[in-house]
Amino acid sequence: MIRPILLSAALSIGAAMSAGAQDMVFTSWGGTTQDGQAQSWAAPFTAATGIKVLQDGPTDYGKLKAMVESGNVSWDVVDVEYDFAIAAAKMGLLEPIDYSVVDRASIDPRFATDYAVGSFYYSFVIGYNKDVLKVTPQTWADVFDTAKFPGKRTFYKWSAPGVLELALLADGVAAADLYPLDLDRAFAKLDTIKSDIIWWGGGAESQQLLASGEAPLGMFWNGRIFAIQQGGGNVGVSWEQNLTAADVLVVPKGAKHKEAAMKFLAEATSAAAQAKFATVTGYAPINVNSKAEMDAAVVASLPDSHTESQINLDMNYWADNRDEIASRWYSWQAQ
Amino acid sequence: MSQTTVAVERSPRRGRGIGPAVPAMLLLALFFIIPVFSLLLRSVTEPELGLQNYGELFATSTYARVFFNTFMVATVVTAVTLIIAYPVAWLLAIMPQRHANLVMAVILISMWTNLLARTYAWMVLLQRTGVINTTLMKLGLISEPLALVKNLTGVTIGMTYIMLPFVILPLYATIRAIDPSTLQAAALCGAGRWQAFRRVLLPLSAPGAAAGGLMVFVMSLGYFVTPALLGGASNMMLAEMIAQLVQSLLNWGLGSAAAFVLLVVTLAIYALQIRFFGGMR
Repeated sequence: MIRPILLSAALSIGAAMSAGAQDMVFTSWGGTTQDGQAQSWAAPFTAATGIKVLQDGPTDYGKLKAMVESGNVSWDVVDVEYDFAIAAAKMGLLEPIDYSVVDRASIDPRFATDYAVGSFYYSFVIGYNKDVLKVTPQTWADVFDTAKFPGKRTFYKWSAPGVLELALLADGVAAADLYPLDLDRAFAKLDTIKSDIIWWGGGAESQQLLASGEAPLGMFWNGRIFAIQQGGGNVGVSWEQNLTAADVLVVPKGAKHKEAAMKFLAEATSAAAQAKFATVTGYAPINVNSKAEMDAAVVASLPDSHTESQINLDMNYWADNRDEIASRWYSWQAQ
Repeated sequence: MSQTTVAVERSPRRGRGIGPAVPAMLLLALFFIIPVFSLLLRSVTEPELGLQNYGELFATSTYARVFFNTFMVATVVTAVTLIIAYPVAWLLAIMPQRHANLVMAVILISMWTNLLARTYAWMVLLQRTGVINTTLMKLGLISEPLALVKNLTGVTIGMTYIMLPFVILPLYATIRAIDPSTLQAAALCGAGRWQAFRRVLLPLSAPGAAAGGLMVFVMSLGYFVTPALLGGASNMMLAEMIAQLVQSLLNWGLGSAAAFVLLVVTLAIYALQIRFFGGMR
């Protein structure tokens, strides 16, 4: 989920470039998320099958495309954003998921397609620093209210599902009428607070901004708020109109260890592995049977437990309009 | 050194001189020239044959702005770096050698420290709740935190700091090579300190400043990590835009076009430098 740009420039980890016959390569976004995946999915998988899972990263869509085009694919399973997976499938960059190996019935149907299977899902929530703010923000409209909540607010920097939707919600658009997005209206709303926005490019940065009070409120991945709270930070969360999105796992076309990759997907999406990952990271499991295996307190902190006003970001809409929105987004940001 | 080059060029056995350079040239051809050529090819073939990527690049106001940002930041950083580097190089040159070595070690150690760590350190220092702002506010010098980061100020501070050694080192070398008696002569002829600097030291050290300045300017044009972290969304520079086009948007045609333009501009600047200053010394 953390965008690749900074990470790949700074730390190009080439550890997994030469996987042996019995090995496979798993690529994700680094940080605590990938640590959780290694520990909750890869470790039990290796113990059960003897197939070693080499960790590589960060995910880089450019690299993925280059590998497939050159026919030299060194990644076997890759964690990507859902809207990218839909677009990549259309571009012919992915292998179909083998549902004779992966148990489709136990996976939340929102997160199983012919070419991708859920990795985990999360919500964008309102987070706030309790040391700085005397009043607590409840809704996205509050986040746009600079009179009531002075100071900077922080939003996700990249063109991706989330910010435009919450701007429209703050402007009074009903959840049911969000799509297709009214881009003019969304940007007009964002213009009203543009100089008060600090953009975060990755999860660690968002945690730093909120915990330090640099930006006392904003939008965050729920797992990052969870992580600050676990670390003793005095931050609060509002689940009002939380926006769900997902990461999915894909197998690049021409992956060298396709069979092992499918077996890995079966393990990663199993009830037990998903439950363990959710417990470690605070992100929600995509296996419908996982919650039965989890601690009740943890379940209460997951997006699943806050469905009253929850909104699912429309990944198909985004996959179709990704490029057009991106070019508008970046030119708006640059002004 | 330039004299040696001239001598080799005049030698009748000039052809044999290339021999030892063959491995390096092969390496360059294989890992630089061929990839650059395929880059150029992509920029005119994706998504279809033609110059539409270059058209889009120059016609879209966002991209024009990114080009402008890039050159502005590179210019400002080069200017500030030169201004700060001059006194340092000068002091280094006139200090006793022992002390100069110590100062040099400090400069080099900072240069060898991880770039990302240094950039994050600046973030911690400069942000609204950072060390500098909190101290100034406690001292009562300011009542509102200064906006030192996520804008052009942040980029300039961070990049100037990183680029300093690249100017100090060549400048120090040229200033040290200047015969101190020329400055004495200037003083004897009645020149004040400023006049001696402007009319003797500055012209004599100009090649070092030009070499360092060019290096900083060219490096700044393609700089990535520091502007991305210390700049705001409106300070996007070319390297970040190219990375975005290639990695996230998978628009390789446009990304290649942007990269190629950057390369051409860089080479043009280098050619100008050779023409006016006779290349790096």
